[in-house]
Amino acid sequence: MSKELVIQIENARVEMEGRTILSVEHFEVSRGERVAIIGNSGSGKTTLMRMLKGYVPCKEGKVVVMGDVFPITDPKKMKTHHRHIGMIHQHFDLIGRETVWQNVYHGRLGYVSLLKSVFGVCSERDLQICAQAIHEVHLEDKQRRFARTLSGGEQQRVAIARALAQEPTILLADEPVSSLDPALAEDIMDLLVSVCDAYDLTLMMSLHLPELARKYADRILAMKNGKIMWDGSSDSLSNDRICEIYEFMGTNGVVNGNGTRASRSAFTWPYGWQGQPLPGG
Amino acid sequence: MAGKVSLFLAVSALLFWSFQGSEFSPGQFWRGIPQLFHFFGRMTPPDWSVWDVLLTSAVETLQTTIAGTFLGALFAYPLGVLAASNWTPIWVHLPIKAFMAFVRSIPLLLLALLFVSAVGLGPFPGVLALAVHSVGVLGRFVAEEIEATDPKPLLALQGTGASSLQIIQHGLIPQVLPQMVAHLAIRFEMNLRDSTILGLVGAGGLGFYVFLYVKQFQWQKSGVLVLAIIALVFAGEFAAWQVRKRLI
Repeated sequence: MSKELVIQIENARVEMEGRTILSVEHFEVSRGERVAIIGNSGSGKTTLMRMLKGYVPCKEGKVVVMGDVFPITDPKKMKTHHRHIGMIHQHFDLIGRETVWQNVYHGRLGYVSLLKSVFGVCSERDLQICAQAIHEVHLEDKQRRFARTLSGGEQQRVAIARALAQEPTILLADEPVSSLDPALAEDIMDLLVSVCDAYDLTLMMSLHLPELARKYADRILAMKNGKIMWDGSSDSLSNDRICEIYEFMGTNGVVNGNGTRASRSAFTWPYGWQGQPLPGG
Repeated sequence: MAGKVSLFLAVSALLFWSFQGSEFSPGQFWRGIPQLFHFFGRMTPPDWSVWDVLLTSAVETLQTTIAGTFLGALFAYPLGVLAASNWTPIWVHLPIKAFMAFVRSIPLLLLALLFVSAVGLGPFPGVLALAVHSVGVLGRFVAEEIEATDPKPLLALQGTGASSLQIIQHGLIPQVLPQMVAHLAIRFEMNLRDSTILGLVGAGGLGFYVFLYVKQFQWQKSGVLVLAIIALVFAGEFAAWQVRKRLI
């Protein structure tokens, strides 16, 4: 496996309303790696991805993604940068009133000139890439359906196809299976990992369940309060270690409806956690 | 508790003040009920000899409505986009919103009266009145619809490398189009209803003849036209309902 670095971060800091919400001292990802990020809500998982995507500016430090040094100011370069990084969202974020095919075609927009997209001119190559992407996610029979009529799992498959149509190098998945039921979550994760293997994509995903992270990633990153607390191979992450990390990260008290912290005894671990096999998995 | 009591007292006082000021009198209404039936009685049996007037004026009302709604929509959609506060800077959307609010505040009949005095009697001032009124109402709905659009799919489109205009074409328009058409259908229905009474101030259509025949005490003829108005409004409502049912 080549050791080409696709993401390099040194002392990067992201601020929002004067507060530091992400601060990464050192972080590198080489091509083809599968990295899972775990941590509580507000721990900076999403912010890290949004920063890599170029949505939120980093205040200081060095960030290099695919050879592009941040901040990227040239709009043309930003467009290329966006094209290189496919992103998959928790709530799929498809255009519900367009067909599956149209949604996948949206992944090509970065390559198509405005005039061509206005008049709906598709090149042979665009058509081919879209067809291939739809084939990868096994939705050939539903490509004329409206996206909103599909089930959650199918919609996430459309989102994966849209990202593939971008011909990306890096795939960012922000809680890709959090709004799906556990059995479906495994299907989507299988698909995600298999397309990343097939296309030699670097995968970075944030996951709620440590169990999924251990199963599907070869490297796990644990975050708390915008900092990386643990970074290592998934094999070295034992159950005790997860417990330690989550204890450390403070999930042993959840905020209940009144906004007060519930006692530890009232807290139940996330479904599927603690070594229990996932239903259907 | 004291707050609830004072609120109750305040509302009671407001209601008493309003009913008293508007000379509300149940007894007078009770005594007037026979008069109501007498009024409708004079309209029956309907005098169908005016069917040619009915046909031409009903068609005129329909034409006025279609032309007025189209003209209004033509201006309302672009203005509505410009009035959406999350798409344009404040110095663009605020004046447009203020203009549309001002237009909405003018009663339709007053607008019609204004245009009758400007361009003369007939359906044309009705078209203008409906158009101006529609700009105010429809434009506001367009703006609100755009403001309420979920921005996340648009951000996802930006993430594919799409340019702003591509995001509007492939993201915004598909998301708001059904609501836009539904609002247009509702506007058409409302305009049809409104245009039946525009004749009261001389702006053509069915209302003009209802008013004419009532003034001439030809009750049975006006009754026919009232029936036509009811049928037309009902048909318009049905059409708008069908459009909305298919869209939403």
